[in-house]
Amino acid sequence: MAAQPPPPPQWVLDLNATPASKPKGATFSDPPGYTAALSSKQKSQSSKTAVRQAPTSEEMDTLKMKKAWELAIAPAKQLPMNAIGMYMTGNTLQIFSIFMVFTLFKTPILAVASIQRTFAPYETPGTSGRLLGVKAVYILMNMLMLALGIWKVNGMGLLPTTRSDWLAWEGERTWSERAVPREWL
Amino acid sequence: MRFHAAALVLAACLTPPALAIFEDDAYHIDFHHALIGLPKHDATFFQKPYAGSKASLLYTISESQAIGAVNPKDGALVWRQAPSAPQNGTGLLRAGEDQDTAISAFGDHVAAWSASDGRIVWETRVDGATVEDLEILEQEDGITNTDSKDALVLLGNGEVKRLDGRTGRAKWTHHDTSGDTPFQLSTSPTTLFYISLHTQLLGGTKLKVTSLSPITGKKLDSYTLSSESEVSAREHILFAGANTAAPLLAWTDKANKVLKVNIIGTKGVSTFNAPGKAGVEKIVLHAPNRLNSLAHFLVEYQTATGHLAEVYHVDLKKSTVSKAYSLPEIAGRGTFTTTSSDANVYFTRITSDETSVVSSKSHGILGRWPVKASAALAGAHPVHGESEVVVKSGSASAVRSAVLYSNGQWVLIRNGEIAWSRPEFLSSAVSAVWAELPDQEALAHELEAEGHQNVLAAYFHRVKRHIRDLEHLPAWLQTIPSRVLGSLIGKSEDSAIDEIHHDTFGFHKLVIVATAAGQLAALDVGSQGKLIWNIDLSQFAPDTTFTSPSLKALRGYVEIKDPGFDGSLYINSTSGGMLSSETIQVQPRVPPGDEKLIAFSLVAGELKGYLGSDATSEPVWDFTPPNGEKIVSYTARPVDDPVSSIGKVLGDRRVLYKYLNPNLVLVTTIVETAKTASIYLLDSASGSLLHSVTHTDVDIARPIPATISENWFSYSLTVDATSGPSSRGYQLVVAELYESPLPDDRGPLGKQFNSSTLQPSKASGDVAKPYVLSQTYHIPEEISHMTVTQTKQGITSRELLVTLPNSNSIVGIPRAVIDPRRPIGRDPNAQEQSEGLMKYTPMILFDPKWHLNHKYDVAGVKDVITSASGVESTSLIFAYGFDVFGTRVAPSFAFDVLGKGFNKIQMLLTVAALFVGVLFVAPLVGRKQINSLWTIPS
Repeated sequence: MAAQPPPPPQWVLDLNATPASKPKGATFSDPPGYTAALSSKQKSQSSKTAVRQAPTSEEMDTLKMKKAWELAIAPAKQLPMNAIGMYMTGNTLQIFSIFMVFTLFKTPILAVASIQRTFAPYETPGTSGRLLGVKAVYILMNMLMLALGIWKVNGMGLLPTTRSDWLAWEGERTWSERAVPREWL
Repeated sequence: MRFHAAALVLAACLTPPALAIFEDDAYHIDFHHALIGLPKHDATFFQKPYAGSKASLLYTISESQAIGAVNPKDGALVWRQAPSAPQNGTGLLRAGEDQDTAISAFGDHVAAWSASDGRIVWETRVDGATVEDLEILEQEDGITNTDSKDALVLLGNGEVKRLDGRTGRAKWTHHDTSGDTPFQLSTSPTTLFYISLHTQLLGGTKLKVTSLSPITGKKLDSYTLSSESEVSAREHILFAGANTAAPLLAWTDKANKVLKVNIIGTKGVSTFNAPGKAGVEKIVLHAPNRLNSLAHFLVEYQTATGHLAEVYHVDLKKSTVSKAYSLPEIAGRGTFTTTSSDANVYFTRITSDETSVVSSKSHGILGRWPVKASAALAGAHPVHGESEVVVKSGSASAVRSAVLYSNGQWVLIRNGEIAWSRPEFLSSAVSAVWAELPDQEALAHELEAEGHQNVLAAYFHRVKRHIRDLEHLPAWLQTIPSRVLGSLIGKSEDSAIDEIHHDTFGFHKLVIVATAAGQLAALDVGSQGKLIWNIDLSQFAPDTTFTSPSLKALRGYVEIKDPGFDGSLYINSTSGGMLSSETIQVQPRVPPGDEKLIAFSLVAGELKGYLGSDATSEPVWDFTPPNGEKIVSYTARPVDDPVSSIGKVLGDRRVLYKYLNPNLVLVTTIVETAKTASIYLLDSASGSLLHSVTHTDVDIARPIPATISENWFSYSLTVDATSGPSSRGYQLVVAELYESPLPDDRGPLGKQFNSSTLQPSKASGDVAKPYVLSQTYHIPEEISHMTVTQTKQGITSRELLVTLPNSNSIVGIPRAVIDPRRPIGRDPNAQEQSEGLMKYTPMILFDPKWHLNHKYDVAGVKDVITSASGVESTSLIFAYGFDVFGTRVAPSFAFDVLGKGFNKIQMLLTVAALFVGVLFVAPLVGRKQINSLWTIPS
């Protein structure tokens, strides 16, 4: 037979049974972090004000433009890292540096080729005009990437930019006369 | 395809890496004929190298004064002493019985050589005189000298000297002041006879015999033989017997009708009439050379149609000479040799088709061997020889004879079989050219025909040619199994080649060699210098004595010119047959194009250029060296000198354009009094001077070899040691010509495609002169000749081939070592390093790896000729003069030929193993793929 548990202390009772509301005449404010339970009326009032309004199309366009700009600048963010990588690999012809240079060429070209698809989510009647500039910047950034690749290839000596690269296409001078010692005749 | 590549990669991994030194190539790709020269009859003998030796060697001194010992077993040279410079005078070589030295004499030089290894024992010089005769004093007072036997020399001034056999010092000297011409010495066991020629006032010559005491050299007696009616010249004295028990003196008259014999020491003269109805052309007397042998001798009579011999016996007691028997006449030429064994004397008769041995006592033939026909001896007859005979119980069981044939082959015939032959005639080679093999010639001709047609006609021509070529297909298919097997088993392809035919790599090229005496021979450089054919030119030009024939290779034939006759001879280069000038089209060596032809030659000390090939017109230009300089030589750029790249790519990828002028000629001049040498670089079309250098303090007596190739030239000179310059020794100068000193610049001619130095365009004004870069190096040795390697397209870097006469070697100096762009006084920077340039060093030491002749001793090289092979990497090299040497070099390594270490069997096994693996794995993979399609992934 279990003995009756002792009655709970007063502070527990106080804690569980909070005063219904603060006295009307009270001038002090609630302590920080304390939210008074709202009355049903108040509840209905507050729910009315909290309903978010759907953004307007202009706002959407601005947002989309923002995202589009981020996308356009993204290749430029990779640029310093790539540049350091390229610089580090040196100018010797190795399988790794060749692969890196290959991706350096492949990425921007593919990116430019699929530019419409990349920016399709941001394409709205309102943004289409403004997106042109974004796309141009995107292409420019990819071209920067490509330029880095070309710089690298040039450093590796693969660009035919010097006279020696075209030497094989230069012909030996012909001579109008041919002189030989008489004993060779 | 991938499969194949994988197999290749695998095979490449399995083969061991090739070592840098090509030790396995030595003695395979190169060959060396170590020659002595044509052996002299009286100075060739079989002799044991030391007393008690079991085998004997064959010693000789040749007409080129080279002394050599040849192993009679295989004809290999045991040792040789070749004179560094050609010597005048007759060479003599004698060896005493049971001595370990051989004593030689030529000019004023007497030397004793160790008979077994050719090292010098002593040498002495008889100042101012030439040695006329040399004998060995075998016996003194009838007693054989046991230790060293002394030598007796007769000098041209009438002195007779006895030289100590151990030291070469003179023991006594006898001087004959009568003024008679000294002729020969002869010894008997007790006395020394000195034979001289006493010329009568009224013509004719008397023979004077003076007997000397061998111990003191005092004159004992002298007498004169009345031979003035017969002997008018030295040639009429047939024999002055040396060192025989009964020394003989034999002579004949002009018509070779009478033979007179005197036993030296007596005054009686026996007279014999020459046999035969036909006139005798030549009489040769063969007598044994030993003191203890029987006093028998053989007289050989050569008639116009044949030869015969008579054997005479000398009766020492009565001092008479009597005929014993005669050997019948045999048509054709032959020779006799004398062999003495103990007291017996045997005569060996050698003809073109038989060897027979008779004893001097009776005419019964002791042995007879037919001589097998050999290609090397076709059409030739024996000239003289030396024999060794083994006689057992009355019959000759073996005979070996070293015989010189008329075509210059020195042959050992052992019991009728040719044991070896040495092409000694090649030692006097004066000219050599490369000749293409016949099918290459034909193909070149066809391609040329195609080149001149229009595209469509050329196409049909080619298709027709290929259809025609199909007839060779069955034969080619038949050879496949043997070829594949041969290459797999690694049997050397070189040794399998018997007849002349084209090989895949073009290593088999013929070299046609002409000797001073008019012998012509073809050697296959690809198969160890095998003699393909060998002819005597005098059969085509009977009235000509050849002195220095010069050769020129044309398509399929060679043209021979000689100062001895006008016009040219044409010889088929593959068969050695004569071609008449009507049947062949005489092609010009320089193909006629749009270019104007200018021929230049040295006329009266001036270099003159003429328009066209005839020299009668006015010269277009002439070059007279200034300040009384004398032109000693000129070198022109070779006709066939392909250049793959017209510029030199620098480290920063800019281009220095080469000055490539086909008409460059390098003229060497000297001033004898001022000791200067000048080098002039001329453009031989216009005669304009492009570059000149003058060197002072030059030893002008030494050769100044020079060569020019591509856009660079090189020469070497000796600094005069007496004039006290700051440096002495030998110098090698290399110079490169560029169109402009600036990179990426084509000089004054700019981009002009065509250029003429005769009529320079107005834009460029004067003739464009090249920019010359040059560097000088000190070299450790004198260079006597230099040339440059040649390859098919000129892609492979070149090598400068220099001949070093002092060390008897040929050295290939890589072009990178003598690049005139080597930085001076500083280390090369990164760009120069990437070009492979090293810091300039004033001294070039010849790296032992550069010596092309490795262990061979290539003596007396006068000229080195090079030719392109069928593969780009390799150049063929042939050196001639005295020795003959041939090899091939790959200056940039053999990048287009699989190395010997490549294991073809392993490669094939790998391929087969992979194939078998695929057979096993294929069904497994197939099953797996099907399963993966039909099973539902869980």
